[in-house]
Amino acid sequence: MKKLIALVLALAMALSLVACGSSSSTTTTSDTTTDSSAAAATDSDEVIYLTIWSPTDEAAVEEWWVEKLAEWNEANPNIQVSREAIDRSDSYAYDNKIATAVTSNDLPDIFYVDGPQVSYYAANGVTVPLDDYFTAEDLEDFVDSAVTQNTYDGQLYAIGATESSVAFFYNKDYLTECGVDVDDLDSRTIDNPITWSEFLEIAEKCTTDSYVGTHIIMDHGEGLPYALEPLYVSEGVDYISDDGTTAEGYVNSAEAVTTTAWLANIIANGYANIDPIDDEFLNGACATMLGGSWDIATLEESADFEWGVTYYPVSDDTGTAVSPCGDWAAAISKNCENVDAAGEFLQWLMNTENVATYAAAIAKPATRSSAYDEEAMADYAEGARALIVEQLENTASPRPRSPSYANFSSDYAEAMTNIFSDAASTGTVDEDYIQSELDRVSANFTENYETYYAE
Amino acid sequence: MTRKPQSKKASAFLSKFLFYAGNIVIGVIFVSPLLWMISASLKPEADIFANMSSIMTFVPTNATLSNYLEVFSRMNLLVVFKNTLLYIGLILIFDLIVNSICGYALAKFDFKGKGLILNLVIALMVLPMEAIMLPLYIEMSQLGWVNTLQALVVPFIAKCFSIYMFRQFFYDIPNDLLEAAAIDGCSPIRTFFNVVVPISKTVYATVFILDFVSHWNDFMWPFLVMTGENKRTIQLAVQSFFGTQPVHYGAIMAALVISAIPMIIMFIFMQKYYVEGIASSGIKG
Amino acid sequence: MTKASNLSARKRNERIAAYVFVIPAVVLLVAFLVVPMIYTVYYSVFQYQIMRPDDITFIGLKNYVKLFGDSDFWQALKNTVYFTVIVVPCQCALALALALLVSKKFRGVAIFRTMYFSPQLTSMVVISILWTVLYNSNPNTGLINSLLTNLGFDSINFLSNEKTAMNSIIFMSAWQGAGYQMMIFLAGLQGIPGEQYEAASVDGATKFQQFLYVTIPGLQSTIKYVIMITMIQAMKLFTQPYVMTQGGPKNSTKTLVYYIYTQGFQNGNFGYACAVAAVFFVIVVTMSLAMKRVTSATD
Repeated sequence: MKKLIALVLALAMALSLVACGSSSSTTTTSDTTTDSSAAAATDSDEVIYLTIWSPTDEAAVEEWWVEKLAEWNEANPNIQVSREAIDRSDSYAYDNKIATAVTSNDLPDIFYVDGPQVSYYAANGVTVPLDDYFTAEDLEDFVDSAVTQNTYDGQLYAIGATESSVAFFYNKDYLTECGVDVDDLDSRTIDNPITWSEFLEIAEKCTTDSYVGTHIIMDHGEGLPYALEPLYVSEGVDYISDDGTTAEGYVNSAEAVTTTAWLANIIANGYANIDPIDDEFLNGACATMLGGSWDIATLEESADFEWGVTYYPVSDDTGTAVSPCGDWAAAISKNCENVDAAGEFLQWLMNTENVATYAAAIAKPATRSSAYDEEAMADYAEGARALIVEQLENTASPRPRSPSYANFSSDYAEAMTNIFSDAASTGTVDEDYIQSELDRVSANFTENYETYYAE
Repeated sequence: MTRKPQSKKASAFLSKFLFYAGNIVIGVIFVSPLLWMISASLKPEADIFANMSSIMTFVPTNATLSNYLEVFSRMNLLVVFKNTLLYIGLILIFDLIVNSICGYALAKFDFKGKGLILNLVIALMVLPMEAIMLPLYIEMSQLGWVNTLQALVVPFIAKCFSIYMFRQFFYDIPNDLLEAAAIDGCSPIRTFFNVVVPISKTVYATVFILDFVSHWNDFMWPFLVMTGENKRTIQLAVQSFFGTQPVHYGAIMAALVISAIPMIIMFIFMQKYYVEGIASSGIKG
Repeated sequence: MTKASNLSARKRNERIAAYVFVIPAVVLLVAFLVVPMIYTVYYSVFQYQIMRPDDITFIGLKNYVKLFGDSDFWQALKNTVYFTVIVVPCQCALALALALLVSKKFRGVAIFRTMYFSPQLTSMVVISILWTVLYNSNPNTGLINSLLTNLGFDSINFLSNEKTAMNSIIFMSAWQGAGYQMMIFLAGLQGIPGEQYEAASVDGATKFQQFLYVTIPGLQSTIKYVIMITMIQAMKLFTQPYVMTQGGPKNSTKTLVYYIYTQGFQNGNFGYACAVAAVFFVIVVTMSLAMKRVTSATD
């Protein structure tokens, strides 16, 4: 026993000594998967190894990766690709992993990145342009919004297989009970969507003791600016200027204040919960929702009521139809030593068949129009999913492409939380307060942009 | 003395009853979230948040095992448990030794720099992991330890909280006991292992439990330094469920129930050292 | 051999033993806490976008100047201190009460200990998500508000009102954390010799008097330790606001560590986050060393 203790002690000492002489030690035995590509680059006859990082997903997606990579690796003996599933808890955690890997140059060759982050990584030189591998002709098959979202400063920095959208979901059974003309909602087309005032009227009619009228994504994070942006665009002014350099006169414009006040009014009147649970609509606690394309599958599976879906509501003033979009996409990192090989692989990864099967596995709409002709995407021919595709092809508006968008997103979410909290506790809408909060968002954006990205 | 045996017996019974009743009520308050978690893990997704306004939320009416099946399909439990127990086990072995001897020296020995080290230990307790995460990662990278077991273990052996706790407990051991050992010819090091350790099982058990639990819940650090399915730790496996849209809370709850089982077993097992602590206290008096 | 030389030999042995005992821990602490901390302080004088480690600019004390004019920082400091001042006595008292309930051996004691400790068995992230749901403002979806309205009270926007958000976090934190301190108190209670209680009982002391004159003095060093670590852990509050409120509403739950994390990682202002971390470090070290001085006056 005593010998054991002595042994363990000695081990502990040895370990701490190793730790001590750390910075000078040169013989490091690091993991082989990330270093092997460097070794391969020195000898062109050798096999090139590529590593991909993408978030861990459900079994169907994980299987898709295994199957597809096996297919590629067999067909391309000189470019061997492996994937690491990253167990992100939220997208911030994933960004942290990228940030730490950037610091020590441990980035994989290819990594997945959420749409609005593409500009952030591109502007900081973390990713490299893909224009050599995807020509304008290649990109024609992709929905415009996906290409736009992944383009920064005129160059394409990421390419994705999947998209997302938000639409107006309603509980038909309950709406009928409340005297709302459900047939009218069902019959709307993309040229004739419901307006804000119709939306508000339904929410008001359907708010009772046991139901709230509607549901707004309140995740205090990216979900909020994502789901609400079309309201602002429809009213006439986006969050940030088109070139991504300023928010002044955009997020704090008169139009933005009007839009925000309209939203705050919904909260102030109790037509929507300030901190709704995720499954509020599914559980029959709210009558309608601005819900995501990802909600369709859950509703089909579990809803015990009749539900319908129609287009994202438009501003009464302009009538302009706009809808959210954007999803994760693949990018090539600055640490990649064989960009050509990675580009070649991405070309293959994003071909019609792969996009269709991947989109089907992950249950999201595809970015390529031709993918919808594939058998895997047969679901999208009609019903709720067809409506989502229709929105993506006609009204989708990508989030602002600015390297400071990540900061904007958290500031905006914070401001909205404050504004909604104020509205909920006072029961009224204070436009001066809204203006002051949005001014702060704009000022913070300017500070961040000027500090790191302005010429 | 035995004038009213009946009523005395009755009052003893009553106080015992109240004692148990009180413990049960408080216990239920503390354990209810865990119960909710178990109940939710057995519900279909649509039911989980459905009955939040009533006590029925604790009862899985349409019980199903589908959440557990999803968990099994998404994580290799064997690998995950093996990885986690391995790295936590290694940390704890070194943790108990390194920190207890340091705490003992700080409690019972006189040497130059003692005050300084004690202040250092207190000062370093304060460092939040979030503030030193990135520099520590860079250090790991320079050592070539990224994606290796060392990165999970070595930085977390020395723990200021544990050193200080050992120090506080050893401080209370009567000096007479140590003197006696010294007079018997025990060297200070032998005195520690032969006299002090055997009567300090309670504090070792406490440090073991607390550090085991806190490492079992580690997420951010393993997430940053480990990449790859075969290197997953339990929290990585659990938290990856949050990454899919829509979030499947049922599967998350099932994963959590599974992940709590080893801890409950460990905790119940370590109880026995608390009882022995009582016996040993006789020596101290 | 004279008695004096024997004594000095023992002293020497003890000194050697002392160094053998402290060196492993000290080396590890220096390598993995002090070194990263020095780096943190070093980066605090740079303008450092986290994604651009090769492109950092020395800016002197500008981050610190900015910090002193940063109202969010001051608010975070205020919130952190408020949380600590309230949660430490509540949580320690609760933990001691729980420990007293289950310190003696009785049938089922292990079960009750496990119950009280059980909030520690799940990660804080999940506990926070769960309480977010429990605290939900709508009586139809939130258990606590449903109870309140059934009892005839108005429902409360626990987490989405700046007046109640921090107190709600304090309540759940004390509930969640008490099991941890309970274990330390339990260990301390096992160290109090049973005879002392017997002696007090023979002298006719009531249970409460026994608590005052036997338990409390016997637990002195444990109590000091528990208060100190609870305080330090409270100052590091992060997960609950991160998951439940994101620091809002109106900055009411933004804490220093939350601010460090969001500034450094989410917003990418790594240099600035390091400056906040350095200031945080100075504040908390000063507090805990001062506390150690106060409490060790009786050592």
